[in-house]
Amino acid sequence: MTKEEIMNRLTEIYREVFDDASISLSEEMTADDIEDWDSLTHLRLIMQIEQQFQIKFTTGQIKNMDNVGALMEQIQILTDKKQGE
Amino acid sequence: MTGNTHGNTSDRIWQMSEKIRKNLSDIPLDDYASILNIADRMVKNKKIVSDSKKIAVLGTHSIQMIVKVLDAMLMEAGLPMRFYEGEYNGLAMDILDSHSAFYSFRPDIVILLPSYTDIKEYPNMMADEERVREMARSASAFFQKLYSAIHAQLPNAHIFCSNLIEPYARPLGNLEGNVFYSQSCFVSLVNLEWIIYKPDYVTILDMRGLAERIGLDSWYDSTLWFLSKQGFSLKYIGAYCNLMKQQILALSGRIKKCLVIDLDNTIWGGAVGDTGYNGIVLEPNDPEGEAFLAFQRYICQLKERGVILAVCSKNDEQNAKEPFEKNPYMLLKSEDISCFVANWDDKVSNISRIAEELNIGTDSMVFFDDNPTERALVRRFLPEVEVVEVPEDPALYVNALDSAQAFDWIQITKEDIGRTDTYVADKKREDLKLDFSSYDEYLAQLQMCGRFCEVDAETVSRFTQLLNKTNQFNLTTNRYSEAQIQAMADSDEYGLYATALKDAFSDYGIIACVILLFDNEICRITDWCMSCRVLKKDIENFTMKKIIEICSQRGCGQIAGKYLPTKKNQMVKNLYAELGFEACGNGQFILTKEQFWEAKTKSFIKEETR
Repeated sequence: MTKEEIMNRLTEIYREVFDDASISLSEEMTADDIEDWDSLTHLRLIMQIEQQFQIKFTTGQIKNMDNVGALMEQIQILTDKKQGE
Repeated sequence: MTGNTHGNTSDRIWQMSEKIRKNLSDIPLDDYASILNIADRMVKNKKIVSDSKKIAVLGTHSIQMIVKVLDAMLMEAGLPMRFYEGEYNGLAMDILDSHSAFYSFRPDIVILLPSYTDIKEYPNMMADEERVREMARSASAFFQKLYSAIHAQLPNAHIFCSNLIEPYARPLGNLEGNVFYSQSCFVSLVNLEWIIYKPDYVTILDMRGLAERIGLDSWYDSTLWFLSKQGFSLKYIGAYCNLMKQQILALSGRIKKCLVIDLDNTIWGGAVGDTGYNGIVLEPNDPEGEAFLAFQRYICQLKERGVILAVCSKNDEQNAKEPFEKNPYMLLKSEDISCFVANWDDKVSNISRIAEELNIGTDSMVFFDDNPTERALVRRFLPEVEVVEVPEDPALYVNALDSAQAFDWIQITKEDIGRTDTYVADKKREDLKLDFSSYDEYLAQLQMCGRFCEVDAETVSRFTQLLNKTNQFNLTTNRYSEAQIQAMADSDEYGLYATALKDAFSDYGIIACVILLFDNEICRITDWCMSCRVLKKDIENFTMKKIIEICSQRGCGQIAGKYLPTKKNQMVKNLYAELGFEACGNGQFILTKEQFWEAKTKSFIKEETR
């Protein structure tokens, strides 16, 4: 999956989770940049990403997702791994 | 990945926003991401109504997601409530402090969601039974104390308390199920104590049952636990909150009381209008027939617990009723059905008619019909009726109806189940209580009834099937086509007989076949087979008795039996010898007229004639 594809699908998920169609993501974006991004919405994000990409993050991966770029990187790793199987 | 099936990005976003505008009830309970998103949006836009009821949720683990989804579900059900969310790990803190924010909120409903981690002391290894029981009592007493503290402050509040779900880890392995002091045993014991000492103002939420249905492997999500103290995988948030919602609705009297069932391909296979009451698929020896019978048995259980049954079928009334009166395998009887509607009108009008006749609201009805068109119509025009999604395979009907959990009542009263009915059921159960010390006594108490009949049009298929698929109890293992069987049945030379069996527990249908060839005054048993489901019940003796009767009537001088060994039929190697035949070598056995009375024909099977 290309970076662009991941970004597109992720944007879609963010828009749905935050119920805000105007969100556009950048790799540097952190929780401070979106007003409603608290621990609960973070959990919903994770749940929805796992459901949509059919992957499962480890505790460490979720803990270390400091910005959107880091999140994309983890998705990349997990989907590549899945494809390889 | 499903990348290719999506359109371009803007299309996809459009689909998403469509989804988010949907109602919760349109979303399957397992689409957890959508449920969480929709609930979030609904709660954000919630308008607080000042006179709405108040509900407090106190839990040991994280409850924010639970509160949000429950809040949204109740809103959608037209019962919006105001919520109090307990402190994290605040079960005892909130309850035992009479000045807590929980009490000043003055809830009408209190939901307690404890976990096995609330039990502070588990039995030690090797703790003896009395000690374990004592500990369970005191663990339960702690909860009694919480209940009464709430009740003292809020005498009108109803309390819902989840029971305990076993921990995932089973450090004792298989021994968890062998020793009384294991953690899992202890959790079960505490759950039982809770049931026994439950005050009237408390209802237990059977989350243990839910977790069991799902399986502990997926129920718990350790990652979510360590990250945010979710007590279970949020994948099941839909089912979890739905259970609570149903109970809250039941508390306010909103329950389903009546099951409306279709007939053809719903409680039996095939169309009775085409095949007649005996042609429907309901034979206990046919796997599909057995599936329909299992579904009928489940419906009978619903009836026993007080659910009203109604039939709504597109059929001529007389055709539709005939199986109930005449098909011997029907478990549902006419008297079980409180309202029977079979005609060619549309089902929407018929369901309204049934509601009127039974004097209940259409909103208390559940509809089960194999036909997707009928389901869609009822959903469209009577949205208040709960329409169960019916799978294609009748084997899964029980699962479908059961997992819909439509009849989630808060209590069952004597009035519900009806006094006379209970009386009949109790008496029957008493009659069925088996108490025996020998195998003969056991057989005697089974109250077996046998029927030995010549093969006819109704039984020829089953007869052929049994002969062709039986390998073990089969003396000669000949295989025949149905046409061959029919030809033999039509000829005077042959006698084709089937034994059917019933006992106090079930009707087995046809379970043994015999083909007799009358060769002058010799009666040759060319074929004899029996289903392995009914071994060791003396059916061979009963069948032998009937063969001898027939031979005596026809004036036969002797009966000749034959055993052709195969890899699989060793069990009947000595059958003829044991029955009293004389071996003549080469697998041939003879019983002469003079020996008829010596043959082993005693059995506990009472003869039933049609």
